[in-house]
Amino acid sequence: MKRVLLILLALALLGVVTAVSVVGLGLYNVSARSGHLPGVSWALHTTFRNSVRLRASAPDDMPDLSDPELIALGAGHYATACAPCHAEPGKRPTATMRAMQPQPPAIREAVTDWNPAELHWIIDNGVKMSGMPGWPTGGRGDEVWAVVAYLETVRRNASPPLPTPKRDRNADAAEAGYCRTCHGSISRHVPRLDIQQPEYLTKALQDYLKGERPSGIMQQAVSRVPPEAIPGLARYFATVPLSGAKTTGAPVAGKELASRGTRKVPACIACHGPGAPLAQPPAPALAGQDRAFLETQLRLWRDGIRQGSARMSAAARALTDHDIRLLSEWYASLEAGSGNAE
Amino acid sequence: MIAVLVMAGTLCHLAGSGAMIQSRPPETTALDIPGPVPTERPQGPRCIRQRILASVLLLAGCEGPQSALVPAGVDAQALHLLFTTMLGGAIVLWLLMNGFIYWFSHRHPAAFSEIAARWLIVLGGVVTPAIMVGALLVWGLTLLPDQRIAGNGLRIRVHGEQWWWRVAYQPPGTSGPIISANEIRLPAGRRTEFILTSDRVIHSFWIPALGGKMDMFPGRETRMSLQPETPGRYRGQCAEFCGASHAWMAFEAVVMPPEEFDAWLKAEAKDARPPQQDSARKGQQIFRREGCGACHTLRGTEAVAQVGPDLTHIGNRHSIGAGRLGATLDDIALWVRHTGDLKPEVHMPAFPHLEPAELRDLASYLKGLK
Repeated sequence: MKRVLLILLALALLGVVTAVSVVGLGLYNVSARSGHLPGVSWALHTTFRNSVRLRASAPDDMPDLSDPELIALGAGHYATACAPCHAEPGKRPTATMRAMQPQPPAIREAVTDWNPAELHWIIDNGVKMSGMPGWPTGGRGDEVWAVVAYLETVRRNASPPLPTPKRDRNADAAEAGYCRTCHGSISRHVPRLDIQQPEYLTKALQDYLKGERPSGIMQQAVSRVPPEAIPGLARYFATVPLSGAKTTGAPVAGKELASRGTRKVPACIACHGPGAPLAQPPAPALAGQDRAFLETQLRLWRDGIRQGSARMSAAARALTDHDIRLLSEWYASLEAGSGNAE
Repeated sequence: MIAVLVMAGTLCHLAGSGAMIQSRPPETTALDIPGPVPTERPQGPRCIRQRILASVLLLAGCEGPQSALVPAGVDAQALHLLFTTMLGGAIVLWLLMNGFIYWFSHRHPAAFSEIAARWLIVLGGVVTPAIMVGALLVWGLTLLPDQRIAGNGLRIRVHGEQWWWRVAYQPPGTSGPIISANEIRLPAGRRTEFILTSDRVIHSFWIPALGGKMDMFPGRETRMSLQPETPGRYRGQCAEFCGASHAWMAFEAVVMPPEEFDAWLKAEAKDARPPQQDSARKGQQIFRREGCGACHTLRGTEAVAQVGPDLTHIGNRHSIGAGRLGATLDDIALWVRHTGDLKPEVHMPAFPHLEPAELRDLASYLKGLK
């Protein structure tokens, strides 16, 4: 009995000494050049596949993935955030990409084994120890669907070409062309900017930059822009009407809710117009804004994912899905700039 | 006897705790309630003196704007009479019982005859208590319907919110109700009916100086009526725990001579007064710029929302924040800047970004809404 205990103790000591040597003395070779030991790659990859299959549940918020505007938005994000590792569909990955360990699969190959819910889970969560990052912010599964929609076109070999920025000669900020690959080119899901004050747009961009406003797409986009270019971009986009910005015209219900509120819902127009000055610190004008964008943002406020304004958090607290639809439809139907000029 | 006095004193203190209302939060003023907590119990005559002093101090709590022991209306008087009768009866009973114990144990310790003992037990232990409790029950039950007898015309609908009061006056012969909040004015000498209901949780409507309380239930209407007699300002308080700021859910009840009340109600029905001075005009700009109209109504302006209290005539009210603070310019500024500190979990967001000068202007605009 005593001998058994002594052997166990000796083994435990040996284990501790080995662990200290590997971690503390650097005995393990971390070089990516040599690859994994036999069997390790298989174990890691199988773990990854089974883990995703276990966790990716049937989604209840999956939008229409054949929506061309959603696909275009996903393509815009893919172009800068995903293509550096997974390459454009049909293009050969660069030599550097191919030297990664594990090597990121080319995108056509990457999507083959997964259904949309699993793709959504992978893009939202990332994969530990593989180089695949999670979405830059939590709670924005709605944005992730845009990328999934794009990947579904890749699977069908029907993906639209990735957008390339064109030099915008009217803008003093060189990055305006990059912004315009989405703003002004995609008519839904992307907010209209020419209805806003430059101060509001500056604040919004800075909030994205600091991570205070959650959006994986916009946080990625604004991190590619030099911070000193932000005020110029805000001025430019606040003034230039872009194609694709259009109002839906016909009057709809929702006016009463927006202008009088209920006992639980404040009156939107008191801060966002029309008919009243925009609240300070700058509140966005909403007349003429994109309906899908408004719906998403109101949900984010109500669910506490978007924060940063105590007033707006309090205002959206009691909104129902029906309220959100009514309000978004009404604001989207208005002529831009109506009555905010005070 | 002292025990009864101390108990009564404690009761009074509870009933009269309205004397401590409208204290500010600790960080804003040094208005501390003196409350020495002795670590050692004092002994001897000093102790007795202190206890008597304490009882007298506690009895002082019977006064104040929120005391059922200083009735200012017909209904409170009826309850007060019931209470004092019970208190008096309890004292007499207590003296009798102890007198008997003393008499039979010390003065006449001789044995009772069995017959006398039986009679004493049946009369003193069964018949007398049954008659007394029965009489009290009949009296108490006859008081209950009086809480709901029909009024002289004016009806007030009160809606309990977390944590404030929506008030709508419905005088006879008018079309729409006159909307107000967080203060209830009543004509002296007339009986006013209340229709009570609530939004999310159960509240209870109670003006101790004027009458009994009545619960307010979501989705149900309860009724009561009050006939105040003595003009003055009293304090009402939510008497059913309703959330984080239940203790701060109070209101002023102002009893006015009938003619004055009629004139006031007429003025209350009018639209908000435009700002008169420069400061108030600036305040109006701030009110609009900050989007206050998203939640509050100022009748006659573009502010028509219904989430928060109607502010059309807030300048006339004696308190703000549902009895949380007084109604001075400083109080209003403090409220707007520190809303959540003053009233935990309140829905109204604080406006800490406003400069002191802006807060003053805003307060002077609101104060001018007479």
